[in-house]
Amino acid sequence: MSSRPLREPTFLLLTALAEGPQHGYGIMTDVERISGGRVKLRAGTLYAALDRVVAEGLVEDDREEVVDGRLRRYYRLTPLGGDRLAAEAERLRQNAAVAAKRLKLRHRAIGGLP
Amino acid sequence: MTAAGGLEGGYRRLLRWYPPSYRGRHEDEILGVLMAAAQPGQRRPSARESLDLLWSALKIRIRMALRGADSQPWAAALALVGVLLPLLMLLLKLTEFLDRGAQYGFGSPADILIGAYGEPGAYAGSFQSNPHSVALTGNVTDALTAGPLPALILAVLACLGWRRAAAVCAAFVPLAYLGISLTNGYTLLAGPRGDVTLYAYGLEALVLLVAAGAAQGWRALRWQPSALLAAATVAAGAGMNGGFWPLFHVAPTAPTDVLQRAGRLANLPHGFIDRLFGIGAGGWEDWLLYQGTLVTVIAVALVTMLVSSPVNRRVLLLLAVPFALGAVIYLFSMISPPLPAPVGNTLAAVPLLLILLATMALSLGRRPRAGADNPGPAAPGDT
Repeated sequence: MSSRPLREPTFLLLTALAEGPQHGYGIMTDVERISGGRVKLRAGTLYAALDRVVAEGLVEDDREEVVDGRLRRYYRLTPLGGDRLAAEAERLRQNAAVAAKRLKLRHRAIGGLP
Repeated sequence: MTAAGGLEGGYRRLLRWYPPSYRGRHEDEILGVLMAAAQPGQRRPSARESLDLLWSALKIRIRMALRGADSQPWAAALALVGVLLPLLMLLLKLTEFLDRGAQYGFGSPADILIGAYGEPGAYAGSFQSNPHSVALTGNVTDALTAGPLPALILAVLACLGWRRAAAVCAAFVPLAYLGISLTNGYTLLAGPRGDVTLYAYGLEALVLLVAAGAAQGWRALRWQPSALLAAATVAAGAGMNGGFWPLFHVAPTAPTDVLQRAGRLANLPHGFIDRLFGIGAGGWEDWLLYQGTLVTVIAVALVTMLVSSPVNRRVLLLLAVPFALGAVIYLFSMISPPLPAPVGNTLAAVPLLLILLATMALSLGRRPRAGADNPGPAAPGDT
C-alpha cells in the first residue's frame, strides 16, 4: 500500500463513496456538502481524480444506469480503498489529536491567553 | 432547448480533447455531470469549466501515455526497442568496423577500442600530437561514442534481460561523455554519428527503465527482428548521412536495362557500406542527393511498417528519436556557419539532457509502485 498521505480532494472523494456507491454528480454534490461548501470539484477534476483512484485500485465501477437517455455510472469503494481511507482518517485523527493536545498545553503555559 | 443544445455542443467540443479511448467510455457520463451541474439558463461552458476540462484532458493524456508503458502495444514495442536498439548500435559499429577495416586495415586493439577503424595507429598517434591528458580524455570520449565496447556490453546485457544493469550502462555512456567533454571544454557538436550514439544510449536507458517487458531480453524479439532490423538499419543510414549511392549512380537508361541494372547492383561497388553510413560522403549537395533517394525508400518502408501493426509503429517511432535528433543537428551544422562552441554544445546537449531527465523522473516516479509489494517505511498511522 502506498504510504503517501491522500490529497484532500481524493480523501473527500473516497469519503463520499464510503457509505455506498454513487454516480459522478452524486459524488460532486456530496464532496461539497462534506467539506461545508469549501471544496467544489468540477467535472474535469472529478473524473481525473476518479481515473486515478480507479487505476490505483481504490475505487471500482459498481453499475450503470440510463437516466433521461444518459448513461450514469456508479462507483464504489474497493476493500483496498476502504483500508486506505481508514488509515488516512486515523492518520488525520492522530495529527488532530496531537495538535489539540499541544494547543491545550500552550494555552495553559501562556496563562489562559488564546 | 437551443440553449441546452448549444451548451451540450460546447461541452462536447471540449471533451474532444480527451483521448479517444477515454472519451468512448466516459463522454456521456461526464456530459451528464456537466449538464446537471450547469447553471440554469447557461448557454455555453464557462471559462473555468473550459479550463478545468482542458487541464484534466491533458492530465488524462499524460497519465495514459505513462500508463501506456504497461498496455499491450507499448509494452511489446518498448520490450522490442530495449533489445533492438543496442543490437542496432552494435550492428552499425560492426559494419563500419568490417568495411573500413577490410579496406584500410584494422589497427591495434586500442585503435579498435576507440573506434578508429581504418586509421591504424590512431591511438598511438594521438599521444604524439597532443599532450598526454588531452589524448587520454579524447580517446575515452571516442571509446564511449565511436568505439564498439559500450554497444557490445549493452547488447549483451539487454539480450540477457538484465534490465537494471543495462540501464545503468546505457545511462553511463552519455553522462560520462558529457562530463568529460564539458569539463575539458570539448565541443560537443562533433558529428551525427557521435550524437546519434549518445541519444540512442540515453533513449535506451529510458526504454529499459520504462519497459517492464524489457526484462524478457532476446525473447522479446521473436519473429520480428529481421524486418525491424532491416528497416532500422535503413533508418540509421539516413540518420547518419547515408546514401544509396550505387542505386543512384547507375545511370537511368532504357527500361529494358532492368536486368543489367540489377546485375550491377548485385556487384556493388566497394565501399557501399561506407556510403550507406555516410563515411566519405561529399558536400551537402551530395548528401541531399543521396538522401533524396534514401528518404523515399525510407518513406515507403515506414508506411509499410506503419500499417503493419501497432507494435511496429511504436517501435519505429521510438527508434526514430535518436536518428531524427542526430539528423536535425547534422543538417543544421551543414547549413549554418560554424557555431560558437557554447551554442553548439547547448544544441547537442539539450535533447540528451532532456532524455536523461525523463529517465530520472520516470525511475523516481515508478519506484514507489515498483516497491509497492515490499514493506517500506510506513507513514505514521498508515499501518
